[in-house]
Amino acid sequence: MHELKPWLALIMQRRSRLVVGALLLALTLFSAIGLLALSGWFITATGVTALLWAAGQRVMFDVYMPGGGIRFFALTRTVARYSERVYNHNTVLSLLADLRGRHFAALALLDGATLSRLRAAQWLNRLTADIDTLDTLYLRLLAPPVVALLGITLVCGLIAVFHLSLALLLGAVLLGLLLFLTLGMALFGLHYSARRVEQLDYLRVQAVEQLQGLAELTAAGTLGLHRQRLLASSQQILDEQLILQGRIALGQGLATLGVMATVLLGLFGAMQAYAAGLLSGPIMVMIPLALMALSEGFAGLPAAFAQFGGTRAAAARLNQQTSMSSRLVDPAQPLPMPTDVTLQWHDIGVHHAGIQGFNLTLARNERLAVIGPSGSGKSTLAALAARLLDPDSGQLLVSGMPLLELPLQEWRTQLGYLTQQTELLHDSVAANLLLGNPGASNEQLWAVLEMVDLADLVDGLPTGLNTWVGESGKQFSGGEGRRLVLARVLLKNAPLVILDEPFSGLDAATRERVSARLEPWLADRTALLLGHDAALLPKVDRVVALSAL
Amino acid sequence: MKAITESGRRSRHWLRQQGLAVRPWLYAAVVAGLLQTLAIIAQMGLIAWLVHAVLIAKAPYSSLLWPGVGLGLAVVLRALAQAVQERCGQHASVRVRQTAREQLAADWADLGPIRLADRSSAALTNQWVEQAEALDGYYARYLPQQWLALLSPLLILLLVFWLDWLAALFLLLAAPLIPLFMALIGMSAEKVSQQHVLEAGRLAGHFLDRVRSLTSLQLFGQVGAATQSVQDAAERYRSVTMRTLRIAFLSSAVLEFFASVAIAVVAMYIGFGLLGYIQYGPAAQLTLFSGLLILLLAPEFFQPLRSLAQSYHDRAAALAAAEGMAALQDEAANIDSQSESAKQGADGICIRQLSLSYPGRGAVLTDISLQISAGQVVALTGSSGSGKSSLLHCIAGFVNPDSGSLTILGHLPGEQPLAWLGQRPFLIQGSWAENLRLTAPQASTEEMSRAIEAVGLGALLGAQRNGLDTVLGEGGRGLSGGQAQRLALARVWLSTADVVLLDEPTASLDEQSEAEVITALRGLAASGKTLIIATHHPALMALADRRYVLNSGRLTDA
Repeated sequence: MHELKPWLALIMQRRSRLVVGALLLALTLFSAIGLLALSGWFITATGVTALLWAAGQRVMFDVYMPGGGIRFFALTRTVARYSERVYNHNTVLSLLADLRGRHFAALALLDGATLSRLRAAQWLNRLTADIDTLDTLYLRLLAPPVVALLGITLVCGLIAVFHLSLALLLGAVLLGLLLFLTLGMALFGLHYSARRVEQLDYLRVQAVEQLQGLAELTAAGTLGLHRQRLLASSQQILDEQLILQGRIALGQGLATLGVMATVLLGLFGAMQAYAAGLLSGPIMVMIPLALMALSEGFAGLPAAFAQFGGTRAAAARLNQQTSMSSRLVDPAQPLPMPTDVTLQWHDIGVHHAGIQGFNLTLARNERLAVIGPSGSGKSTLAALAARLLDPDSGQLLVSGMPLLELPLQEWRTQLGYLTQQTELLHDSVAANLLLGNPGASNEQLWAVLEMVDLADLVDGLPTGLNTWVGESGKQFSGGEGRRLVLARVLLKNAPLVILDEPFSGLDAATRERVSARLEPWLADRTALLLGHDAALLPKVDRVVALSAL
Repeated sequence: MKAITESGRRSRHWLRQQGLAVRPWLYAAVVAGLLQTLAIIAQMGLIAWLVHAVLIAKAPYSSLLWPGVGLGLAVVLRALAQAVQERCGQHASVRVRQTAREQLAADWADLGPIRLADRSSAALTNQWVEQAEALDGYYARYLPQQWLALLSPLLILLLVFWLDWLAALFLLLAAPLIPLFMALIGMSAEKVSQQHVLEAGRLAGHFLDRVRSLTSLQLFGQVGAATQSVQDAAERYRSVTMRTLRIAFLSSAVLEFFASVAIAVVAMYIGFGLLGYIQYGPAAQLTLFSGLLILLLAPEFFQPLRSLAQSYHDRAAALAAAEGMAALQDEAANIDSQSESAKQGADGICIRQLSLSYPGRGAVLTDISLQISAGQVVALTGSSGSGKSSLLHCIAGFVNPDSGSLTILGHLPGEQPLAWLGQRPFLIQGSWAENLRLTAPQASTEEMSRAIEAVGLGALLGAQRNGLDTVLGEGGRGLSGGQAQRLALARVWLSTADVVLLDEPTASLDEQSEAEVITALRGLAASGKTLIIATHHPALMALADRRYVLNSGRLTDA
């Protein structure tokens, strides 16, 4: 249960909305009970009165009071039902929107190493499906048992007015039933419902992988084989779902059986009490009918509680994720940002990249190239400077001050970093560029596109800057996508620039053109350029070569 | 408007088609549902009879034993039939969902990587996983309930008619109004729900995309703005969902209203009738038994309709899901089948007057003719966007040309396996071996080790704790760009295919790796395989026997 604690706390922040929602739910159930119980009482009372009249007895019977009551319950039932549904769903969905935003913000604090350990498809599942799963918490798991309990109390309280011991007996049976339909069903479905979320997660990852590898798998003729595997996974998951659903069907049958058994118990008990002269005829009929109307309060419980395992697993996963977001934090008392940036890697050690005792200084306005084969740790040096990663030993110094002591966000504004990986958003060309500088004008956008030799291409597109970039830049060729992210860095216009293999995927002619246009832009900046070969980079003042591992 | 009804018809047709295969389960669910109604009628009848016997007929208690036992049996039968109905629906739903997934996966294969490129893989995955799941309620509940909503009330109505035709008339008058209102509400719910599915897909794509780009967002200090945009997307999702729900709930409120009012009217009528206030019609014949039974059956008369309304959004969700699936299926079915021409040039690759254009991009390849003999190494060069990748796509069979012919070793493209390496390495989360076996499922450990050696990753593999079984990226240790590309390249070595297509294979490799790759490629070429390389790297061009330059989709011999 402890997995759900933070979520319950979060939900409870909207306590007043929850209470109103539960009251509306209870009102709906009460009206249903009132409608059926009062109607039964009324008909029996008229039947009995008619019998007395036929026997020649003069008894008074007021038809207007119960008639008004019946109409009242009929109306409140309709109104309460509709308002309850709209009100409660709105509560839950606004809670979900909050949760998503908050979780994305938590993810965004993670460092590069942690991010790479999880994968985008899984993140997606966590963000959408898991949070979706948690919506069951209030609307399916919290409110209904409370409302059912209120219903039991109302009905048994009503019966207790006429027959206390019968009310106690029925109350005990109904509470037992409630316990079975909630706790019992939760335990009954725990295993399979917990697995289900995991399995759909796995299925999703497999599907994404197949889609991303469609080219290679198609060409190699192994797509059919992989499709069989994918479908086998799907079948297995559906088979397990069928087991869980079978238990739910059983639970629902038992819910009906349980409620109807109490109806019979109430009927036989009331008949006995009537024979003993403890109850009137109309009350004898009212008791089983009130119990019958109660069944509505029990109907949804088995299905909801059988899924409890899934809800708990989703909560556990989300909790794990929030507890991870503790690395790469801002210093408690950051030092002021130095105005002048000299960057020094001092005795740096990063275990996983095989870097040890590394020293390097990048002076102000210096243009330095670090050259080395892939795997030699070039990108790690850049990641350290951008604080996507903190070193295991040693430290980075900015004009003599430890980087760890500087305010993280402010430091990153000083830095224009073109990562080795081309990351493009599934959004317009303009939106992708504007990441670099949200306030940039259209003229500025065209200027940077011109610098990377993309202006003609974008201008030639029917919708120009508003053209949608395919997922991961698929509609642009590798080299075009590369230049687009380079343009984004140029737009940021930061004093310190790190370009990691800026020209990968570009043909020689394009490389020459872009390199020449970059020259004046780089002139008064501090720049770190990374690559395999200094000849393939813009001109530099100094070259440092790293050897392979 | 016409387009909307057109697509609606297509979705309904698609849903019907899927239902045909699971008809036995659906019929079984309907039969179980009817059995449940019969059990309910028996239960209510016995309750009314017992009450009448005790209160009016003053029957001795000993005579009530067997009706009491019968009542217990009716209740057990009712619960059992309910569980069975549900179970049958579940079986139908599972079958349909699996079939839908089979079909979608087949459509992916038919459309191929290039035609699918402008769809986000998150949206496609969402369709495959979630949208297929969205079919559940429609087949498990809605379809059987659709029949039961007609048949069960009819059974009850017949009985009530026999008991008191005027009360039956009340129910009958209320009943047809309900489907009418529901149809009106349902029509707009359908449209809103389609938008809802679209929005859910967009939300999924939006998330995946932002999460993938987290590093860039961090570096550009745009995390705050991205969080806001994620929140806005979720908020948009909320408002669209609420619009669907408000309408969906409205249809159940209408039902609730009619059901409640009908019960109230029936109760008043029976009460007044029993008191003798109503002199006309059958009211005079009412007894406590018939009156109570009619009252008890009145809620049950509306119950099937209410269940149907509750699963009405299941129908809307299924229709919306079907819309996307039917569209993809149609698109896959509409691909021009290859114009089969006489098989020519049994050896080598023979391209005759091939032209290709994409909607929105115009002509990509124009009148390409090319003969590549088996074992040749060919370099295709040209600036970005000149069409060299598109030519490779045609040879690989990912797209069919608009005109012209193409045969590979006497076969049409796509008929025979090829080895392919794209611009971006494709790696899955899994071990080295799993990644290598993606395209060569039968590869032995030795073969895999040799391939790894051939691409110059031998030393790196040697450093892995569990060798080929080491999971990629384990312990935070990922592969660099060049290493990832070389691992993907190792699959080419494992391939038994005679033709190898390489799309800028050295774009992200450093000089040393590049030299190793070129050496290995030379070995591969010597082994008699045909290599077609799209590249602008001089070293790779030098490796080629023939060089062709593509310029705005036209071929020139260099």
